[in-house]
Formats: sequence, structure tokens, C-alpha cells
Amino acid sequence: MTNHLPLLDIRNLSKSYGAVKAVNDVSMHIDRGEIAGLIGPNGSGKSTFFDCSTGLARPDSGIVVLDGQDITGWSLNRIAREGRMLRSFQKTVTFRALDVEENLIIAGQMFAFPSILSTFGVGKRSRQRISGLRERAHELIRMAGLWDVRHQPAGNLSGGQQKLIQFASMLMPEPKLILLDEPMAGINPKIIERVVETILYANKSLGVSFLVIEHNIDVVTSICRRVIVLDQGTKLVEGLPQDIIQDQRVREAYLGG
Amino acid sequence: MSLTQPSEQARRRDYRVPLGILLFVVALAAPFIGSRYVVHSLIIALVFMLPAHGLNLLVGYTGLLSLAQAAFFGIGAYAAGLLAVAYGTPFYVNAVFAGLVAGAVALPLGVPALRLRSTSFVMCTLGFVIIGQAISKNWISLTRGDMGLSGIPKPYFELGPLSFSISGTTGFYYLALAIGVLATLAVWAVVRSPAGRNMVAIRENETLAESLGVPTWHYKLIVFMLSAVFAGVGGSLYAHYLTVVSPLTFQMYYSTTMLIIVLGGGAGMISGTIFGSLLFVGLTEALRITPELRMIAYGLCLLVLVFWFKRGFAPVINRVWNAIGGAK
Repeated sequence: MTNHLPLLDIRNLSKSYGAVKAVNDVSMHIDRGEIAGLIGPNGSGKSTFFDCSTGLARPDSGIVVLDGQDITGWSLNRIAREGRMLRSFQKTVTFRALDVEENLIIAGQMFAFPSILSTFGVGKRSRQRISGLRERAHELIRMAGLWDVRHQPAGNLSGGQQKLIQFASMLMPEPKLILLDEPMAGINPKIIERVVETILYANKSLGVSFLVIEHNIDVVTSICRRVIVLDQGTKLVEGLPQDIIQDQRVREAYLGG
Repeated sequence: MSLTQPSEQARRRDYRVPLGILLFVVALAAPFIGSRYVVHSLIIALVFMLPAHGLNLLVGYTGLLSLAQAAFFGIGAYAAGLLAVAYGTPFYVNAVFAGLVAGAVALPLGVPALRLRSTSFVMCTLGFVIIGQAISKNWISLTRGDMGLSGIPKPYFELGPLSFSISGTTGFYYLALAIGVLATLAVWAVVRSPAGRNMVAIRENETLAESLGVPTWHYKLIVFMLSAVFAGVGGSLYAHYLTVVSPLTFQMYYSTTMLIIVLGGGAGMISGTIFGSLLFVGLTEALRITPELRMIAYGLCLLVLVFWFKRGFAPVINRVWNAIGGAK
């Protein structure tokens, strides 16, 4: 029954900063197992839309329903922890002073421990949970091709490698849905391939759905089955990637016409 | 990996265990080696090590700069002193009570304060010390105001049929040492726990931690309360050692001393806090004999620190420790 409902259903979301309507009455949904793309020119409200959907910012109006549950107004950490909807940031962020393995273990901790109090434990039970997380971290580190640098501080690695750490971290908690904010920005083509592979692997083998903000149109057309276009805070059009790139309105929005 | 490790160990011998035992023996034998004044200095260092340990959890591990530590230290001192004077309860009851009261007071203070960002939070915690002093000065029916609370008994123990009171400096040194060791073990446990990892995550990048499901607000509040508990227990030791508590216990100088211990010793390292307490408190206490030199020496220490040891002394200690352990 519930499987016919979309995984993420966002209805009439609006958010203003002062007089600027950053997101204006946008509705969209993500189906189970889908990889959807979100594109639009700079300042079209993509990131604000992400922030409002994931709890980093509070929407002025509208509702966010994840897996049949209304999560509007939940905090960022609660949406991640209880909703298993994770997000990345446009600017690559890692725990720079900690090594790759620790970065991934942190990402899994709140999902492996039942309560905040239990994380203060140092007993056998706690150690078992952590070694379980370490095993999973090792698997993901291998998949991301970071095995040789797993004991290096994340801050010492290249931007592309840090992107992979960020990505692997989000897979630690067995997420339902991941929102990626420009995963390919500023990384070299070799790593782009690796990130694309990882996204497809997570989607096919781990059953993770994705909503991806991306400017690299080749990537969008190759991985997304559906693309949604935002312009000036409103939804312009949505459809198949090949139709979208032919669409006159989309071309005008990008060219500022 | 497995091939290189044995050869590294074979290259040089590991002296860490014998050195550790030696340090422990020196710590145990200190009252018989040093003069009474040295022992007194060590006691003060151990007393200040407690709030410093708590502050290290907050500043060093979680990345929250706080000046409130002297407020919780003072609250602990008054709580233990008042309980001991009124009911003559054994020391361990007073110490636990002092820790709990300080921790409980930290809850309503932390809830609004932790909503503030960086500098505003620091200023707010500074306010707690000033308010603490004002209350202790003016709530005369409870604290006896500026006269202070005197006649706090020496630590008294009741263990089954055995009951005794610790009166001498040597006895108090062992009590402070025992509590210091327990506190160090407690900090070690917190830091090594998964929660300790979350604390470091908050320090490194709060938004990222939050996006990975870490309830950062709850952790910050818990650590703030935990740091107050350490300060409170330290305050109880202070009250029982001096047998007098006055509003001067709430002073900024104490908060800055605790902060210098943590930052100078090496924030985010347990060894740094231990070394920092011995250096900064022990040194200033030991130099009390020459008041003029004292502040100069203290100032020089800070200058050396700022210019040559930006991350505190702990990285140096760790390097020496690893060298003793046979690493390069």
C-alpha cells in the first residue's frame, strides 16, 4: 500500500529572505528507487529548497512528507537520524582533523546506538557496535577507492577525495534518500566517474533514492530519469532529461532571456 | 604493515612502562621527597586539575570556549562547605553533593547560553562568574556574605566500622591524588566513548555533525553539565582543604587560570591538562615565596607558550612519550 506513495512528497514549499522569495510555492516528489535531478540557474532557489526540505532552514509555509510521515519543522539531525534522509553540502565538508575511517564511523554512530546516553558507554556492548561500524566503514572505504589513505586526516586529501569521504559517510547509516548539492563541482573528471559509479551502486545495490543538484548536464542526463527545473524560486518544468534540454523555457532561463 | 611493526619495536626499546611506574612512584612518594610547601603546591595543582579536566571536555574536545568554570567551582565549594558545616556529613557525600549541585545549576544556565554563538557565549559565561560572586556576597542568610563560610571540617570518612578524618597535608595530598586519578580516568572514559567522538565532530564541524544525525545541542548541554560536575567536585576539595570559602572563590582569575591550564597544556589532550595543572598552578604556588618573581615567571611562561607552543605543551609531551616508547 504505502509503496505507491512517493518517498518524499513536498507540497507548496515557500521561503523568503526579507523581500526575496527564494522558494515560491514549489511542489515535487521523489519516488522510491529514483534518481531525480534538480537544475536551474544560479540563485534559482535550489539550495534554499534543499535547506528547507532537510531541516537546515525552516520553510515559511508548505509541508514535507517523508515516507508517509510529516517531517516539516524537524531539525536537521532528527531528519537524518529518524528519517534517514541525508544531505551533502555544496562546499565540501569533512572532519578535517580526523582520519577517513573516523569520519565514517562518526557518520554511523547515531544510527548504531539507541540513545544519546548509550553513546557514553565504553563497555563491551559499545565496543561491539563500534567494531560493526568499522567493518561497514571499511567496505565503503574500499568501494570509494580510499583504502590506501584511510588513516590520513581528511583535511590532507584532495577536494575530490574529500567529496568521496562525504559521500561514503552518507552511506554509513543505510539511508533511504540522499540529497546531493552539486556533487561534481570542482573535481577532476576521473573522480567524477568514481562519484557517478558510487551513486549508481548505492542506487542499485543499496536501494538509495537520490535528488541531485548538478550543473554538469552530461552527468544529469546520464544518471537521472527525471529532471526538475527551478527558476527564480518557482518550478519551471519537469520531465525526461532529453526533453528538458530541448525545452525553450529552460534555455531562456539559463541564458537570462 | 605487519612486517614493519616488529622491526620498529626492535630498533629501540620501549621505556614507557618503567617510566610510567617511576612517575607513579614519584607521585606516591612526593610527600616524603618534597618539602611541605611543595606538597601544598601539588595539592593546589590537583585541586585545579579537576575543573581543568571538565573545561578540557568543553573547550578541547567540544570546541566551546567557556569562562564559567570558576562559577561552578565556587558553587561546588559553597555546596560542600554548607553541607559539611550544617550536617557534618562525610567528605564523599559532600563531594558528590557539590558535583551534583554544580551540574544541576549548569542545566538552566546552559539552556539559554548554548543558544548563543561563539563570542556571545563566552561573554555570557563570564557573566555567570560575576553573578555567582554577587549572589554569594548578598545572600547573607545562607553564605554569610563577605565574611565567608568558615569552620569547614577537614575531610572526614566513614567506611563501615572505620571512621577517620584527614588532617595533615600528607593525608590531604593522597586524597587529592586519588580523586585526581579517578577524574582523569573518568575523562579518559568519556573521551574514548562514542560520545567523545561526537564531541570532536561538533568541534570540527557542527553543521556536518548535525547533518549526520548527531544531536549537537543535546551533546553540548550534556558536556556543559559534565564540565560543571568536575568543577563542583574540585570546589569541594578546595573548600575542605582551605576550610574557608568566601565570595572570592568566584573570581575571573580562577576561570582564566583554568583556561590557561587547558590551552597551555594542550587543548583536547588529557596529558596536556595534567601537565598544565602542574606547571601553571604548581609553579605559581611554588613561586609565592618570591612575590615579585612570581608574576614575571608566570608572564614568561605565557610568552613562551604563545610564541613557541601555539598548540600547548601536550604535542611536545606526546612526542617525547612516543620517543621513549621506541618510535622515531
